[in-house]
Amino acid sequence: MSARSWAFSDDLSSLGSVAALLFALLSIVLLLFELRRRERLGPIIAATGALATVALTLAVLRPVRVTERGSLVGPRVIVLVDQSRRLELPAEDGRSRRVRAEAAVAAVRDRYGDARLGVLGFGEGPPQAVPDSGFGARRSAESDLAGALGALAESTGERPRAVVVVSDGRLSRPAPGSDDAALRHAVGGLGVPLHTVRLADAGPKDASVRSVRAAGAAVAHQPMSLTIEVGCAGGLECGDIPVAVREHRQGVEPAVLASGTARVEDGTATLELRITLERAGARVVEVSIDAPAGDQVPDNDRRFVTFSVARERVRLLHVAGRPTYDVRTLRQWLKSDESVDLVAFFILRGMTDDTMTDDDSELALIPFPVEELFTEHLPSFDAIVLQDIDAVAYKLDRHLPALARYVEAGGGLIMVGGPSSFTGGNYAGTALERVLPVELDEKVEPHDAAEFSPRFTEIGRSAPVLSGLFELLGEDLPTMTGSNTLGKPRGASFVLMEHPRRKVGASPMPVLALGESGDGRSIALGVDGSYRLAWSELAAGVSGRAFGALWDGLLGWLMRDPRFEVARAEVVGQCVSGEDTTLRLHRLPGASGDVEVSVERLGKGSPKVIEKKLPSPPIGPVDVPVGKLEPGGYVARVKVGQSPPARLDFACEKGGEAFADSRPDGPRLERISAVTGGTSVRAGQEATLPQPSATRIAAERHVTPIVPPWVWTVLAALCLGAHWVARRRGGLT
Amino acid sequence: MKLSRRHVLAGLASLASVAPGRARAFGDAGAFHPRVVTSGGAKLDPERSSAPARWAYELVRRTSAPGRLSSASVAFDQPAFAAEPFAIWAGASALGPLSGPERRGLDRFLKMGGVLVVDDLAPASGAFGESARREVRRVLPELAPVELDPTHVVFKSYYIVDRPVGRVQGPARIEALIRGKYAQVFLLRHDLLGALARSRGGGFSLDVDPGGVAQREQAIRLAVNIAMYVLCSDYKDDQVHAPWLMRRRARRRP
Repeated sequence: MSARSWAFSDDLSSLGSVAALLFALLSIVLLLFELRRRERLGPIIAATGALATVALTLAVLRPVRVTERGSLVGPRVIVLVDQSRRLELPAEDGRSRRVRAEAAVAAVRDRYGDARLGVLGFGEGPPQAVPDSGFGARRSAESDLAGALGALAESTGERPRAVVVVSDGRLSRPAPGSDDAALRHAVGGLGVPLHTVRLADAGPKDASVRSVRAAGAAVAHQPMSLTIEVGCAGGLECGDIPVAVREHRQGVEPAVLASGTARVEDGTATLELRITLERAGARVVEVSIDAPAGDQVPDNDRRFVTFSVARERVRLLHVAGRPTYDVRTLRQWLKSDESVDLVAFFILRGMTDDTMTDDDSELALIPFPVEELFTEHLPSFDAIVLQDIDAVAYKLDRHLPALARYVEAGGGLIMVGGPSSFTGGNYAGTALERVLPVELDEKVEPHDAAEFSPRFTEIGRSAPVLSGLFELLGEDLPTMTGSNTLGKPRGASFVLMEHPRRKVGASPMPVLALGESGDGRSIALGVDGSYRLAWSELAAGVSGRAFGALWDGLLGWLMRDPRFEVARAEVVGQCVSGEDTTLRLHRLPGASGDVEVSVERLGKGSPKVIEKKLPSPPIGPVDVPVGKLEPGGYVARVKVGQSPPARLDFACEKGGEAFADSRPDGPRLERISAVTGGTSVRAGQEATLPQPSATRIAAERHVTPIVPPWVWTVLAALCLGAHWVARRRGGLT
Repeated sequence: MKLSRRHVLAGLASLASVAPGRARAFGDAGAFHPRVVTSGGAKLDPERSSAPARWAYELVRRTSAPGRLSSASVAFDQPAFAAEPFAIWAGASALGPLSGPERRGLDRFLKMGGVLVVDDLAPASGAFGESARREVRRVLPELAPVELDPTHVVFKSYYIVDRPVGRVQGPARIEALIRGKYAQVFLLRHDLLGALARSRGGGFSLDVDPGGVAQREQAIRLAVNIAMYVLCSDYKDDQVHAPWLMRRRARRRP
C-alpha cells in the first residue's frame, strides 16, 4: 500500500513554517490597508503584491512531495486478567470465576483474531505476562486495576488501541464508591477505551468476616478495640451471627479473648469487641463467625490476623524469699532501667523470726499477697523472677500449675538460685518444673556449697544473650559460693554456663540454661551469687558492668528482644493456605554455622510441619521454602549454629483478604467502561466487543522537491520586481 | 535445756566475733556482712569489737535476711573493698588524711552503688565525724550532706523508726550523702555500734545515754533498718507498700 502527500521542506521547524505563513498573511493585510482608497492601478498593485508575497513565502517554505509505502497491521490490544485469589470463588453457575475467566480470555482471543493481543495479569503492582490461559502460578491478594493501567501508561513502546479487562469487578483500586471523575482519573491515563468482561453477576450464598480493623497499635496489656465487619450475601438468611476472637498459642488450646453477636441488617453488620493481648511480639488472633446453614464459602468464616504487639514497658514481678546482696543488686539494676515496670515482693520476716515486738504496727511489713499475685494479676506481668523462695513455706505451691500455664501461654520466668530455689524450694516434681529448662531431681542434695567459677559452654560463647558479658569478662567469671543442683536440660533447652566439676550423668551440670515452653520462655540460673558480677575484685575491673550485661541479655532474651535473637525470620509475601510459603531468614552479623528451621502449628499437641537443615548457607538472607500450609497459626524456629533459636509466629489463611467479600461488582466494571468510552459485556458475550481500527506501519518514505529551490527564488524575485514597477507607476514608493 | 534458734545464733555470734573467718555455706554469699573500714587510722576499741557481728546477729534473729556472724576489716585501697556493697567506718578520734589509692577505692565503691555508714563513736567531741566528713568531701566534692526526712525509706525498711538513736540519743535527723535516688553515705553521730556491742559475758558492753531499754531497742531497730536498706534498697518505697505504711503511721500517732 502506498500514499502520497506533500509537506514543507524538512529543514524548517514547525515554528518557522508557521511564522513564515503569518508573516505573509500580515503583509497582504497591510498591502490592502495601504490601497484602501487608491483608484489608480490599485488592483494591479494588489495582485502583484499578493503574488510577490506568495512567491516569497514559497521560496522560504520550499514545498516537497512525499511518497510513502507501508502496510496496515492489526491493532495492539492488551487483555488484563484479574489474578486475585478471589477468582477461585464460584460464579452464579457454580463454576469458579477462574474457569470463566479462562474461557473469557479464549473468547477474547477469538474476537481479536487480527489484533496483536497481549495477555497480562493484574493484581499487585505492574501487570505481569501470563501464559495463554490468562493465569500464572501465583495468586494475589489485591486486584489493583488502577496500578496496572498506570504502569502501562508509563511504559515505553507502542500504546495499545484498546484494553480488555477480565474480572469480577471486586477491585481494590479504583475503590468502590468512586464517582465518575475519580474513576476517569484512576483508569483513564492511557487514553484508550477500556472494555470489560464481567465474570459474574451474582455471588454465592455466603456469610463472611469481611474485615478486621484495630484502632491504633497493639500494645501488651492494654485493651484494644477490634472493629469486625460481617457480611451476608447471595440471599443467605443471616440474622444474628455469633462472633468469637481467639488467640492462638503454642502447646495450648486457643484462648477466647472476646465474643459477641453481629446483627446483620442490609447484608452487613459491624461489631466492636475489646481484646487485650498480654504478650508482646507477633501474636496470631483468629476472628471467626458461626455461619448460618447454607453458607457456600466456609473458608471466609474466619480470618487469622497477626498482630505485632508492642510493649511500652516490661512489667516484671520480682519475688524473693529473703533479702540478700543478690536480691539487692538485681532490684537496683531493674529499677535503673526506665523500661521496666517493677513490682517486687520480698519475704522480710520468716515464720521463726523474732521481731522483738508483738505490735505489728511497729513493723513496716505487709502480708505477702500470694493469692492476688498469682491469680488475678498473673497475666498482667511480662515476666516473673522467682529468687530463692520456698514454694511450700510461702504457699506458692498451689499456684504453680497456673504459673506453668502462664509460661506456656507466653509469659517469661526466671528462677534464680539460692537454698530455697529449684529442688531446695520444693519445685521438683511440680507443674512448674515442666516449664523450667532443666529437670529437677528431688532425691538428690538440693545444693552444693563448694566454691567454683562457672564455665561458658560452646553455645554460651556464641549466643547473643551472653555476648555482652563475654565481651566484658571473656572466659573469666567470678567465684560463686555453691550451686543449686540442676538436672539435665529439658527438651530443646540450651545450657550457656556449666559447672566445672559437678555432673549430671556424664555431662557437666548446667548452671545457666535457657528454654522454651509453649509460647513462653524460661531461664534457670543455679547460683545465688550473680551479684559478684557487680561486686567482686573481678567485677570492679569493669566497674561492675558485667552484672548489667548478664541481666540485660537474660531479660532481653526472655522478652524476645531482637538484639538477643540469633536471626530474624519473615514470611515472603503472605502465607496463603494451599500455596507455597517461603520464609526469609536474616542472620545476626557474625552468626555462623548450619541453619535449622522448623515450623510447627500453634495449638495443643501439634506436630512439626517441617524441619529443615541448611548446612552453612552463604552470607546474606536465606530463603527457606516450607511448602503448603493449612489455615491456622504457626511458629517458625530458626537455629543458627549452636545458638538458642529465634522465633516467628505467623498466620496462614485460606484466601485471606481476597475471599473476604465474595460478591462480584459488575456495575463498577460497567462504569469503568462508560467513562473511558469502552464497552462492558458479560462473560460469554465477548464477540460483541468493538474492534479497534488497524494500525498503519510505514516501511518506505520518499521526499521530492516540487521544484528546485532556486526556481522559487527566481520566481519571488520576478514577482517582487513586477510589484515594485506597479507601485512606481501608481505613485507609491 | 532446749536449744532455740536464738541460742544457736547467739553462740555462733560469740564464736564468730572472736574468730573471724570466711563463713561459706550455700546461701551465705549474699548475706549481710558489716565490714569495718580501717582506712585513715580508724579502729574499733575492744568494747565495740563485737558490734558488727552483733549487728548481723540481730538482723538474722529478727528478719529473714541472712547475715555473716563474723566481723572483717577492710581498707578502701584493698581490692576486697569492692567485693561487697556495705562497710562501716567508725572511730572515736580524728582521722588522718586518706591516701590517693584510698580515695580512689572509696570513690569506686560509691560509684558502684555501695553503702557506707560513718559512725562517730565519740559524738561529744565530734573529731572522728568531722574528719570523716572532710575525707568524704574530698572524694565526693559535688555532694553535700542532707538531713534525711523522717519519711525516708531507711526509717521504714523493716521497723517503723521515728527517730535515730544509738548509744547516745544524738541528733534527731540522720545526715546522708545522696547520689541519684539512693542515700549512699550515712553520717551518724549516735555511736550506733556502741549500742550494739556485747561483752564476752553476754551483756551489753556499754550503757546507753540517757538510758533505758527502749533506747537500746530503738538503736537496734535502726541498725536492722540500715541493714535492710542495704539489702533491699528502696523496696519499702514501692507503691504497693504506701497505703499500708500510711495506715500504720497514722495508727501510731498519739
